[in-house]
Amino acid sequence: MADTAATITKRKPTAVVGGLHRRRAVGQIVVHVVLVLLVVIWTLPTLGVFVSSFRARDAVRETGWWSVFSTMDQLTLENYEQVLSGKPFTYVDSKGVERTARSDNMLGAFLNSMTVTIPAVVIPILIAAFAAYGFAWLKFPGRKIMFVAIVAILVVPLQISLIPILRDYQKLGLNGTFLGIWLAHTGFGLPLAVYLLFNYISTIPRSIMESAFIDGASHFTTFLRLILPLSVPALASFAIFQFLWVWNDLLVALVFLSGAGEGREVMTQRLLNMIGTRGQDWHLLTAGAFVSMALPVVVFFSLQRYFVRGLTAGSVKG
Amino acid sequence: MRKLSFVLMALLVLLPVAAFARGGEETAEPEAAMIDVFGVFRDQEALRFEEGMVPFEERTGIDMVYQPSSEFETQIFVRIEAGNPPDIAAVPQPGLMRNFAERGALIPLPGDVIDRIDANYTQAWKDLGSYEGKVYGVFHRVNAKSFVWYNKPEFEGRGYRVPGTWDEMIVLMDRMVRDGVPPWSVGIESGAATGWAATDWMEDVMLRTAGPEVYDQWVNHEIPFNHPAVREAADYMLQIWGNPDYILGGSQSIATTNFGDAVLPLFTDPPQAMMHRQGNFIIGFMQDHVQDNVEEMVGVFALPEINPRWGTPVLGGGDQFVIFDDRPEIIEFMKFLTTWESAKGMAAAGGALFAHQDQNFNDYGSAIEADLAKILVNAEVFRFDASDLMPAEVGAGSFWTGMTDAVTGVPIGEVLDMIEESWPQ
Repeated sequence: MADTAATITKRKPTAVVGGLHRRRAVGQIVVHVVLVLLVVIWTLPTLGVFVSSFRARDAVRETGWWSVFSTMDQLTLENYEQVLSGKPFTYVDSKGVERTARSDNMLGAFLNSMTVTIPAVVIPILIAAFAAYGFAWLKFPGRKIMFVAIVAILVVPLQISLIPILRDYQKLGLNGTFLGIWLAHTGFGLPLAVYLLFNYISTIPRSIMESAFIDGASHFTTFLRLILPLSVPALASFAIFQFLWVWNDLLVALVFLSGAGEGREVMTQRLLNMIGTRGQDWHLLTAGAFVSMALPVVVFFSLQRYFVRGLTAGSVKG
Repeated sequence: MRKLSFVLMALLVLLPVAAFARGGEETAEPEAAMIDVFGVFRDQEALRFEEGMVPFEERTGIDMVYQPSSEFETQIFVRIEAGNPPDIAAVPQPGLMRNFAERGALIPLPGDVIDRIDANYTQAWKDLGSYEGKVYGVFHRVNAKSFVWYNKPEFEGRGYRVPGTWDEMIVLMDRMVRDGVPPWSVGIESGAATGWAATDWMEDVMLRTAGPEVYDQWVNHEIPFNHPAVREAADYMLQIWGNPDYILGGSQSIATTNFGDAVLPLFTDPPQAMMHRQGNFIIGFMQDHVQDNVEEMVGVFALPEINPRWGTPVLGGGDQFVIFDDRPEIIEFMKFLTTWESAKGMAAAGGALFAHQDQNFNDYGSAIEADLAKILVNAEVFRFDASDLMPAEVGAGSFWTGMTDAVTGVPIGEVLDMIEESWPQ
């Protein structure tokens, strides 16, 4: 925008064009100011949390985060230390010896979250890619009805299935296991995955497929060699969706990992527990938020160039 | 591209294998005696509990696995419904325990555990753990709420004396106002649970104006919520809460001040308010430098009597342990909970009071907590937090919101009528 304005100026415009240009420039400034203002308003709370994450417990509770600018010396890394390695506290053990212990920390929970999330992203993508190919390019009876059923399942809230699934898991011995929660997330993520990938895969030109078939490729080869590589944008965009959803999930983890002890708590559970029974340590949420944010941010930025492409390609042309 | 597809294929083939290998591993865990305990207390309190149970684990070889949840009240129902209850749950509300007992989810405690409860607890605690003549719960860590906290050096430096009666307290409060400092810091904001701190105040006053019998009738809805006795208690409370001079920031600030932050102004420099009424757990919310010097910095007295006939009853709460299975190791653990040995370590670590009759007050980590424990154990009248006993629609609903309304200016008569209407039939 600014470049265009600059080139117009260089052309030494007539008075009339100059007036137009000025008006346009003013308009642009207004737009920019409004945009900057919106960005600031939008970012301010996050900034506040970020600043607070470097302030001591009492400082966070007694004064607002902006007061940090008048007293710069208050900053501390204590919150991050406590989030990563637990709050230290001393106690006297049964033998009367004073010992120091550290309470829950997020490192173990971070690993648990990874253990839950990665398979819970990969499994539905693989199944959904096969299914989407089938729905898009194979002719078989009941295809339409099955597809409609899958789309219909999209609107069914997962909450209604929690207790029935938990009962089945109880019989199968899957409660509190990672396999159980992978399957649960897979099930909850599949309808959207199939729908999204179908929309994308069905737009791949038929001619590409036909040329592969003429060369003697089977459906399986076509899928592996052509469809999968071509649908990377769609796969990546769904992967981001599913990753963020599973990573931030609390409900499903609470239900399906319950009874497994503290050793299998995921990040969201641990964050909630870290603030204490009555929330007396809520200031740790600030640092905890940034720790739990780290991985999703990396995933998002490394896949984001596919994100918008995958979304538009999948949805509009469907 | 070929590489990518190979990787994907390999993952596809390997994942289920890996998953099942993993799954197999879980189910093949050794069948060593293990008990699974589920509760609400978390983080440090959970760690202290686990540490406190170490003597039991060492002696018996039984492995106690504790899992806390911030969503306990919801999750426990899900687990019961799904046929996957924990072995033992630590339930904070007697109402919830009765609900489980009614569903038949709980197993009544065997005779030898009941004998130990009889020996080491007062009748009040046994009754709170009973439903329809059967005993289900063992109380362990409990709390008491009828305490007024103050900044000891400041309070004494100004020449204030701990009031013995409500009227003396009002005189003291007026003196503080003349001295230019608000007597009370009050906050009841607590997210979705905003208002619970106000119900505790109200219950404490109710015990002092109407006495324990009327309190019990109130809890059991044998008198309506808008009964004159309830109104009287509310009026006493609003005598303080409704007077902007008595409250730091004025009455309007009560609903927007977080309950945990409300204790902070007592210990700022200079202090912005003189007194704060809250349970023993509030120590954990005080500034770090105060927590490090509790005995020098913090003073506490019981909320004074209003009617000499009722004296100063103690209001409190606590988690009761109930069992969903009766394997011998579970019963063994319940027996352990009734002993002072199970509580000693937690008492020393701080933040917990106990109702065990055979407790040694010297085991508490601070003199203040020892004093609070003495008040709790020696109280002539102890009553459980009414809002935890009332039906959830009221005790965790309209009572909370009603008190919040009263603070923000809705006439108390209307509030009590509204709560009465919300009582489930």
